[in-house]
Amino acid sequence: MFEVRSDEPKYAFLWDKETREKNQYGQDIELTTKDNILRNVSLNINDNSDIGENPNRYKQHGFYFNADNCIGCHACEAACSEKNDNPAHISFRSVGYVEGGTYPDYQRLNISMACNHCDDPVCLKGCPTRAYTKYAEYGAVIQDPDICFGCGYCTWVCPYNAPQLDPIKGEVSKCNMCVDRLEVGLKPSCVSACLGNALEFGVVENIPENRVEAKTEMPGFPTTDITQPNIRFQQSVPTHREMTRTDGVPLKYHRDDEEGKFKPELDAKQGYSSHWNWKKLLTSHESAHVIFTLSTQAVLGAFLLLVLSFIPGLESISALKAGALFNPALSIMFVLLTFGLFKLNMHLGKPHRFYRGFNNLKHSPLSREIAGVSAFYTFFMGYVALSFFNHPTIQMLAAVCATLGSISGVLGLYYMVKLYQIKARPFWNHWQTATSFYGSLLSLGGALLGLLTIPFSASSELLVTLATLTCIGLGIEIIGHVFHTIDMRKASSEGVASWYIQRTQFGKSWITRNVLLVTAFISIASLSLSSPQHLIASYLWPCLFLLTASAAAISRSLFFVTVIPTTMPGAFFWKNKQFSEHALETGLAEMEQVGVEHEAPHPFRWDELFHTIKTTPLKEMARQTRNIIFFR
Amino acid sequence: MLFGRKQKNPIKIADKKIVDWTYTTCGYCSTGCAIEVGKNEQGDVVGTQGVGNADVNRGKLCVKGIFEHELFDSPGRGKTPLLRKQTSENFREANWDETLDHTADEIKRIQKKYGRDAFAVVSTGQIFTEEFYTLGKVVRGLLGTNNYDGNTTLCMASAVSGYKRSFGSDGPPGCYEDFEHTDCLMAWGSNLPEQHPIIYWRMKEAKEKRDFPLIVIDPRVTMLAQFADIHLAIVPGTDVVLMNSLLHVIFAEGLEDKAYIKANTVGIKALKEEVANCDPATAYKICGIDEDTIRNVARLYAKAGVAMNIWTMGINQSTHGSDGVVGLNNLSLVSGNVGKPGGTSLSITGQCNAMGTREWSSCSGLPGYRTLENPEHREEIGKFWNVDPEFFPKKRGLAQTDIFPAIETGQVKGLWLIATNPMTSMANTPRIRKMLDKLEFLVVQDAYEDMECVEYAHAFLPAAVWAEKEGVMTNTERRVNMVRQVVPPYKQSKSDFDIFKELGKRFNADNKVKFSDTVAETFDEMRELSKGRLLDMSGMTHELIEEKRGIQWPYTEEQASKDEAPPTGGKRLYTKNATFSFPDGKARLIALPFIDNNERPDNAFPFWLNSGRLVEHFHTRTRTGKVGNNNKYSPIPFMEINPDAARQLGIEHQSYVRCVSRRGDAIVMAMLTQRIAKDAIFIPFHFYDCVNRLTLGLLDPHSRQPAFKQAAVRIEKLEDQEAAAQMNKEMRTY
Repeated sequence: MFEVRSDEPKYAFLWDKETREKNQYGQDIELTTKDNILRNVSLNINDNSDIGENPNRYKQHGFYFNADNCIGCHACEAACSEKNDNPAHISFRSVGYVEGGTYPDYQRLNISMACNHCDDPVCLKGCPTRAYTKYAEYGAVIQDPDICFGCGYCTWVCPYNAPQLDPIKGEVSKCNMCVDRLEVGLKPSCVSACLGNALEFGVVENIPENRVEAKTEMPGFPTTDITQPNIRFQQSVPTHREMTRTDGVPLKYHRDDEEGKFKPELDAKQGYSSHWNWKKLLTSHESAHVIFTLSTQAVLGAFLLLVLSFIPGLESISALKAGALFNPALSIMFVLLTFGLFKLNMHLGKPHRFYRGFNNLKHSPLSREIAGVSAFYTFFMGYVALSFFNHPTIQMLAAVCATLGSISGVLGLYYMVKLYQIKARPFWNHWQTATSFYGSLLSLGGALLGLLTIPFSASSELLVTLATLTCIGLGIEIIGHVFHTIDMRKASSEGVASWYIQRTQFGKSWITRNVLLVTAFISIASLSLSSPQHLIASYLWPCLFLLTASAAAISRSLFFVTVIPTTMPGAFFWKNKQFSEHALETGLAEMEQVGVEHEAPHPFRWDELFHTIKTTPLKEMARQTRNIIFFR
Repeated sequence: MLFGRKQKNPIKIADKKIVDWTYTTCGYCSTGCAIEVGKNEQGDVVGTQGVGNADVNRGKLCVKGIFEHELFDSPGRGKTPLLRKQTSENFREANWDETLDHTADEIKRIQKKYGRDAFAVVSTGQIFTEEFYTLGKVVRGLLGTNNYDGNTTLCMASAVSGYKRSFGSDGPPGCYEDFEHTDCLMAWGSNLPEQHPIIYWRMKEAKEKRDFPLIVIDPRVTMLAQFADIHLAIVPGTDVVLMNSLLHVIFAEGLEDKAYIKANTVGIKALKEEVANCDPATAYKICGIDEDTIRNVARLYAKAGVAMNIWTMGINQSTHGSDGVVGLNNLSLVSGNVGKPGGTSLSITGQCNAMGTREWSSCSGLPGYRTLENPEHREEIGKFWNVDPEFFPKKRGLAQTDIFPAIETGQVKGLWLIATNPMTSMANTPRIRKMLDKLEFLVVQDAYEDMECVEYAHAFLPAAVWAEKEGVMTNTERRVNMVRQVVPPYKQSKSDFDIFKELGKRFNADNKVKFSDTVAETFDEMRELSKGRLLDMSGMTHELIEEKRGIQWPYTEEQASKDEAPPTGGKRLYTKNATFSFPDGKARLIALPFIDNNERPDNAFPFWLNSGRLVEHFHTRTRTGKVGNNNKYSPIPFMEINPDAARQLGIEHQSYVRCVSRRGDAIVMAMLTQRIAKDAIFIPFHFYDCVNRLTLGLLDPHSRQPAFKQAAVRIEKLEDQEAAAQMNKEMRTY
């Protein structure tokens, strides 16, 4: 148990005498019923089996932040990092600020934010490995880095930037609410360390002494309907109508008098000049996702066309199955898909823990996507292997593979779309994500199949069919982009900031993408209408494939690099992505004390994998598998 | 375990397995927070915590203190003594004897050839009081140079000088407990949340219990200014005018404490005559605070039951620094606010042991607030040390800021720098570089061998840092507090105490001057010398100090022998009528005519340049620059500039710009913020080759403290941002 010092000052102790029944979202503050089996169990903190005697042990706790008082002194962050032994580049709590007014009528509002231990923990629901647990004790949401495989999806879905992905260790860690201190009646370290009398802690909805309100809003704080965060604010000093951010995010907050809330609005900090930024666009951490999503969509598209073409009666495609090109085409598709999956897996912080991706089928769209795509990969592999044999039984098996592959592939793609449509990333949370992904399924699938077959087949029907399908795919994508741009431009969210970044930092690349996309659409459309000679077509198609693929690559890269999460405002250096990137580019980050780290290589550690296999009893493996299958 | 989870995973939380806590006092600022440093079973230093029952910080620590335990093995520490013949050569590692012998020989050579005063000593506010005392004995009793001063000239000299002029002696009369009693607090050029966060917290706690008006005088909208009831955004360098006009209103409206003035002060007539010239309407034209506000503030202050003035560098670092302090003392005296609970004139000091050096280092005099000018003092100390009193100079020598120009003029040929970094901390870096380069012999004694001045050193003495050694320090509220040793000195480094004694031996062949063997015995010498003086600490011992978590002076042997325990806090000076340190017991009210000699913005250099501290850094960043969890909040220098001014210059947020003054230039990253006036910029002073390349540093006539906060600069947009980034990176690389 955590040791309480004999001279522990009074302010460090929890103070809740009475508590409310329901929180502001209408949820019970008491998290379990009196006789629930979850009660009177040890939290097993560092293998200590004691049970804390905190009288409010089963009530939802939360931080209370008095924004009127915060002086931005970093004591909370430091106390947290000291307690959790965090290196400079990791922080479970961060202080940023917004500012407003004109000298000397100037106001800075500092915001200290850690995990809000939400009622609806999207991190827990998103994590494919089930590294997260929301405990009945204090309602703490705690993540276990030993389970995590470093995909970083929790960092995408959390609106508050609470989970921290360590680029060196390749794993996530986060605020643990100092449950060890709570067990002995002490407030979390950060709260006890506060020098502005701004940070407090207690059973949620309880208003600390000398404070008057428990709001869920303040300028710069994302909307609470995403996760129902357990943080309450006092912010009673009047603020200026417009509060700006000092970090690089092109957003400011404007007061809406009718609702009395602050709404995000574009702050065109860098003007409207337009740049290429190819390097940043094409070599980001998310390049693996670009390769994975595009190759999966292309191969799945081509596969579906091949195996399902008999349904709408696309005979020219069905005919391919009998031709000599079938096996080589399938093999190339298989290599491409394997490459995509390999890139995705190796971008994990701990690639050797890949098998944990299925752990959270119950909640996580990512887990379901991984399951769907993995199943598709397996059945597709079977299909490719079996396609080399002509025996009728084997052909039967191949048909089973085709059916199951199609189903799992489509499910995988469905969840691939879902996993990006997350509230904390407004730029993605739009139907355009679907048109882009499904559009690519057709356009890249069609173009790829064409690339593998048209030069070797004289069938003009095949050409027209594939060109039409590719065109439809491109058309769907173009429509999506048009509406997406219109919607984002006027969005009152981080979406407008993404739109701005796309228009400016990547403006020239964005225009190039648009031109390529429209050119591809028109060229392929005219190809399908004109039915040129085979020789011309066989030279043209690879060019058109290249056109389509380039448009898709730029498009998907833009999708990943321009997204802006609904994070808390940062400070000028700390938690300012623009400065971190600058430090990485200029080499400032080479000094450890700058607190910005390059991503370390994350090798596939066979030794760890074998060790896990060796040390996990069969029974445990079976239990875990059962849990996965039965959604436990 | 909600959301359907059945199996409970064990929770892993970092456990540093600390088995041993050692009591120390923080080695950064002068707040004097009590810190415990934790070691695990292997003896590795792994953690820090504020001492819960220490009155100063009550368990709290600021961002620097929380990570102070990471100092011990930070990069750049001095491992072994270094020597070289000339600065163009590389250093070679040497042993202690060789290095100290050579250093002593060089000092002797220079003193013999050019006179005793041609070798100067510049010390610090960072080492322990016993070490200061020992250094004083070496310098005053053995070396005999009169050019001996501390870097406290850069921060506290004006407070010292002002206190001496008003009260007859140095020594801040108030304490932190005053916040709990005051009815009005005026903070002058003091940004507590950033500079002294723990003192801020003490103030905030008091204010939450019992609200009192807070008036902040600062040209920037600091967090404290923002929280103030009244913020006076003053024109830089014009505080004395504001003080005079406040006094004008107080006298004009008869708000002064006539009884107090009569019983405790002299000089009221001349003061009244002087401030009569400074009516609020006239003052407004100079200091930028409108006349209604001046009257309003004067009434609020004078009519408050008890009121206090606190100040920091905004007052001290000015050509009217000493006058500013006297002006605040004037205000406090006229309103009867000295030595009362909640009524005081309290300088918030800079370095952890700035007070220790003021009290005991013999820098500007002799130990225990004694002066060289006083023959009795010379006699007393000479006898105590076994030094011929005639060996002492009869008058104080050069101040730190005059020692450097004396290098320029050739009067000073050799220099010993102790735990101070003038290359970063002093105004006009280009000039300081030239001076250091001119020295025949420079010996640098520091915990860090990458400290910038080492570039010009001939010998380097690696010193232990903070809790690698033992001793006491005195904080802002005159509290003597204890640092116990946590770990032995790093590699071959030695404690400053040992270095001083070792070097002293080389000038003490006949062993005439006695040095105590241990730090504790040295403390006993100081106790003895403190008897009957303002700073009487004869009742204290190291053990009692640790037990009480620091004791404020005075605490006398008499009190101790009567078993009168020292109070936990709340000890004040000058609590009885006419007990000031002048022979007549009366404080001096001093008329302060305002002379405007600052470099002011003009067409060529249109911005006021202001500099100051950041909470995450300490002084020249030799320590905090290497602690990631401090440094990351500002790893490179920046410049606050008003967005309206930036727009006119075409400067973008977070782009590099060049600042140019009549002295030099600096590259910084622009931070556009309305926190600063349109005609001003602010740059933190922690960074090497940065703001002090620009500053002028005109000296205060009384305190010789430089005016860091008033100079004129222009800002240039930089087209080649990549080159600027590269330049900036090179200057920040450790």
